[in-house]
Amino acid sequence: MRLAELQAAFQSAVLSGAGKDPTVLASLTKPGARDRATGFGVYVKAYRLRVAEYLEEDYPALKSFLGDKRFEKLVLDYVAANPSRTRNARYFSARLPDFMQESDEWRGEARAQGVAQMERALTDAFDAADGESCPLETLAAYAPQDWPRLVFAFHPSLRLISLPAGVVELYEALSSEGAAPRPEPRDGEEAAAVWRSGFDPAYRALGRDEFLALNEALAGKSFGVICQLVAFQQDEASAPERLAQFLVNWFSEGLVVALGECDDEESPPAP
Amino acid sequence: MEPLPRLGYGLGLRPAYYEEILSSRPAVDWFEIISENYMIPGGRPLAMLERFRSDYPIVMHGVSMSIASVDPLDMDYLAALKRLVERVEPAWVSDHLAWTGVHGVNLHDLLPIPLTFEALDHVVDRISRVQDFLGRRILIENASTYVAFAQSQLTEWEFLDEMTRRADCLLLLDVNNVFVSSFNHGFSAEDYIDAVPRERVAQIHMAGHTDKGSYRIDTHDQPVCEPVWKLFERARKRFGPVAAMIERDDNFPPFSELLAELQRMREIDAAICESQEQTAA
Repeated sequence: MRLAELQAAFQSAVLSGAGKDPTVLASLTKPGARDRATGFGVYVKAYRLRVAEYLEEDYPALKSFLGDKRFEKLVLDYVAANPSRTRNARYFSARLPDFMQESDEWRGEARAQGVAQMERALTDAFDAADGESCPLETLAAYAPQDWPRLVFAFHPSLRLISLPAGVVELYEALSSEGAAPRPEPRDGEEAAAVWRSGFDPAYRALGRDEFLALNEALAGKSFGVICQLVAFQQDEASAPERLAQFLVNWFSEGLVVALGECDDEESPPAP
Repeated sequence: MEPLPRLGYGLGLRPAYYEEILSSRPAVDWFEIISENYMIPGGRPLAMLERFRSDYPIVMHGVSMSIASVDPLDMDYLAALKRLVERVEPAWVSDHLAWTGVHGVNLHDLLPIPLTFEALDHVVDRISRVQDFLGRRILIENASTYVAFAQSQLTEWEFLDEMTRRADCLLLLDVNNVFVSSFNHGFSAEDYIDAVPRERVAQIHMAGHTDKGSYRIDTHDQPVCEPVWKLFERARKRFGPVAAMIERDDNFPPFSELLAELQRMREIDAAICESQEQTAA
């Protein structure tokens, strides 16, 4: 058998869990008192154990939510549908939330999929690209009347995610190892920001107006434009004070890495 | 052949020991990193590595070059590896005589190859191309194997001899892997050590494994066992004090236990040196 045929047969049997694959076993020597399947079985078993371990490490809250048996079923489904195509094992589990969304069996598990999204975002934040956060004093250098012309660049780890309502609280309960009760499911949606603060992943729930504001700021809109958009879509009367507070929070939480001014509030340059 | 630096006695750098290493600055001569663990955009692992590399020599050890795969060389992977090499400036770079997958799939394991002339030609060609791309010679490690192929035409040590000579690469000799494979396939570990091309061995790995009765698995989750220490002594007599290290990847003990294993290496080398001096006298 040529090397290419041998590797194809070997891999196919490992992926399908065929520890007694006749083509592979026929290619092996018989080692002493053992049968050929014992040695080949080491590779077959190791593959399953290894990929399951990657998923357990990256999705502990999801495992806690689903329970061991359901999580094991999810792992089997994911591994069967998504053989790893990455050299770096770190990224093998990255598609799990998307897989749950695409899968007929798992699509209905909205809260589980939301927890998976949270954990994926936190894992990504852990080793996202570095960025030097601007201290709050950077903002303080600008008079409030100049704020409408400000544009921002954010830490490379920052991600905004839309989740089923209550998932952030659910994630916290799952991560507390029983210290906090699991919230009941409820209708609607919520949003969260996930980023890295120092070396540690961080997150918090976002109200609808802050989610909108942060999305627009990430898209490069000036603070003045963001204020107009939020005032139009939300409660106009309370918008200015809340938005000013959002801005202060973004700086104090280390989300902003660069600050610039645009001449025209409607078409700002990138900072 | 230009010799590599004699680094001394090292350990695998693992996150479980980051804080201990930072706080105690242990008497470890050098650290080996798993290259893929640092082939990421940023964050704590790379920041820690920057701190360690200012205090210790670093070598890079990869697990997914897949040098024996029939898939085309993954140039994206090699480019990322090269960027890390430029950043870390390691004393050297190594990976395994193994394949990790074909058809774009990765099984995240070090899979065995038939020891044929076809596989030899293939591996030699790919090592040469990787070395050209990285602009440096690389070290190739013998992996533990659990199956052997009926079509093999060479012993593993004959394969390594041909491979290193033709590709002009170096060897990372894993003494524990020699022991595990010799047990699993019924060849003599001593014959293997005695036959490996002496001038090509640039680094030695030591590790623990799991005894499953009729076979053994390379798990890196146990202390080095006595028969492997005995084999290490044989290897040191033959290859001299090339850089040697302990790999520990699971069931992490107190750091002091790994330091004690390094101390045992030093004592074995000192005893060999003393014995050789007495013989010479």
